[in-house]
Amino acid sequence: MYVPGSLRFGLMNEPLDDRLLRALEAVAARAAVAARLEPAGGEAVLRSVADATVTLFDAEAASIALYEPATDRLVIRVAAGTAGEGAVGLALAPSEGIAGYVFTTGQPLVVSDVAADPRFDRSTAEGTGYVPRSILAVPLVDDGGTIGVLEVLDRHGDAGFGLRDIELAGVFARQATVAIRASRVERDTGELLRTVLAALAAPDANPDDVEAAVAAAIVGLDDGDDGLWALADAVARARAAAPGEVALVVDILDALARRAQPPAPRTFRR
Amino acid sequence: MTTELPAWSEPFVGERRDGLARHGPWGRVDRDWALGDAGGRGIRVAIVDSGVEGSHPAIGGRLVDSVAVERDGADWRVVPAPPDDLVGHGTASAGVIHDLAPEADLVSIRVLGVDNKGNGGGFAAGLAWAIEQSGASIVNLSLSSRSDTFFGQLHELADEAYFRNVLLVSAVNNVAVASYPSLFAAVVSVAAHDVPRPDAWFYNPEPPVEFGAHGLNVDVAWRGGTRMTVTGNSFAAPHITGLAARIRSAHPGITPFETKALLAATADNAT
Repeated sequence: MYVPGSLRFGLMNEPLDDRLLRALEAVAARAAVAARLEPAGGEAVLRSVADATVTLFDAEAASIALYEPATDRLVIRVAAGTAGEGAVGLALAPSEGIAGYVFTTGQPLVVSDVAADPRFDRSTAEGTGYVPRSILAVPLVDDGGTIGVLEVLDRHGDAGFGLRDIELAGVFARQATVAIRASRVERDTGELLRTVLAALAAPDANPDDVEAAVAAAIVGLDDGDDGLWALADAVARARAAAPGEVALVVDILDALARRAQPPAPRTFRR
Repeated sequence: MTTELPAWSEPFVGERRDGLARHGPWGRVDRDWALGDAGGRGIRVAIVDSGVEGSHPAIGGRLVDSVAVERDGADWRVVPAPPDDLVGHGTASAGVIHDLAPEADLVSIRVLGVDNKGNGGGFAAGLAWAIEQSGASIVNLSLSSRSDTFFGQLHELADEAYFRNVLLVSAVNNVAVASYPSLFAAVVSVAAHDVPRPDAWFYNPEPPVEFGAHGLNVDVAWRGGTRMTVTGNSFAAPHITGLAARIRSAHPGITPFETKALLAATADNAT
């Protein structure tokens, strides 16, 4: 089992070992931090986006729902504003209601006079203890697809939501999407590395154990993330690797360490 | 405050709208002639959306066919479906089209709920059916796909529609990711303007987005026989669809290209 400061590898006699060791320890440290932050860290970013949305729009409430493939539900993860508190944890069908429509189509929209429709989202709305008059909903979307929905409910006063509000909410949604993607990469990386490092650190570890550890670590990783699969393969091979191959592992780890860094804060031009 | 988002409504809003004045050779084309008085008679319009509530008073009994896309293993198939709407959005679109072209027949193709991960396969299947089998000469698309996986297939479908004499009218998407087919050249792409008149539309000579139509605080039909006030590009598109139905009805044999030209020639900023 890995003990901090005592990491040893069968490759220690090679000149590249110090570099490999430093890279592994740097990534392991980052992964340990990420593991401590998750899930609280991800929630904190979402919460700050929701809080900022409420303030900027002078709205009664804002919420962020994320899609959970395992249950095929949109789940409200955070809500801000006094009217939104009861909504956290609600699970919505991704093909129904305003949030579902915006999620499945990626098309932002505003609806007003919501209460005029006796069937519209009423069961969901009443579950939160709050029935909104108007809703602005935008998708959380990036090149990887749509991962959820940001909703803003009811401006104070009589002002409704306009075309510019849709665009502005889209900026906030983009921020949330970037933050969520980054925290998922960090979390998945941490899971993988902690397991692999633990196995590699044992001087007499059985190669089969390493394979098993890697296999366990990569279960549940986001589909299609080729970087992480490549890393898993490379680390598994490194135990019996020539120096050139070890250099490859170091390069991959370096790249991964950079990728796992939190994104720089974004600013808007004024 | 400005953002770096593609603000597709920008050319149609406030002072920028005044800069859209057009000086095309349209002196002998006027709106009455272009739209005619047939009200969309003989035209069938397909609505690819969340379904259409056929019994809604705003549809005027004009819904003649209703289908839905279903997952079939790794593929999709189109099956008959009851005339219901999962959300209300498709009914809203249908109501707008019926308001503008009351004699046009409507076909609902429900693509919502088959493809929650949003990769676009179910949408592409529904669009293919609309183009090839619905009998419609105009297809209203309030949604689009952001998946590069389906870029090629959607591009082929947009071209196929064009050559089959089927006009695609698509709402553009105000998020910072390209979406298809709304940005393809063969499609009529639509964003919302901020003029409170359903009969106002504008042509933008600087594509990709070519038309601005009523999309701010629009009174629309909604699920359950009700009405709602809504805002978004997806409510602007059916206004252009309804106008296109009238043009195609008034001028049988007109092509998608010519329909688009007449929409531009009779826009509020055409002179």
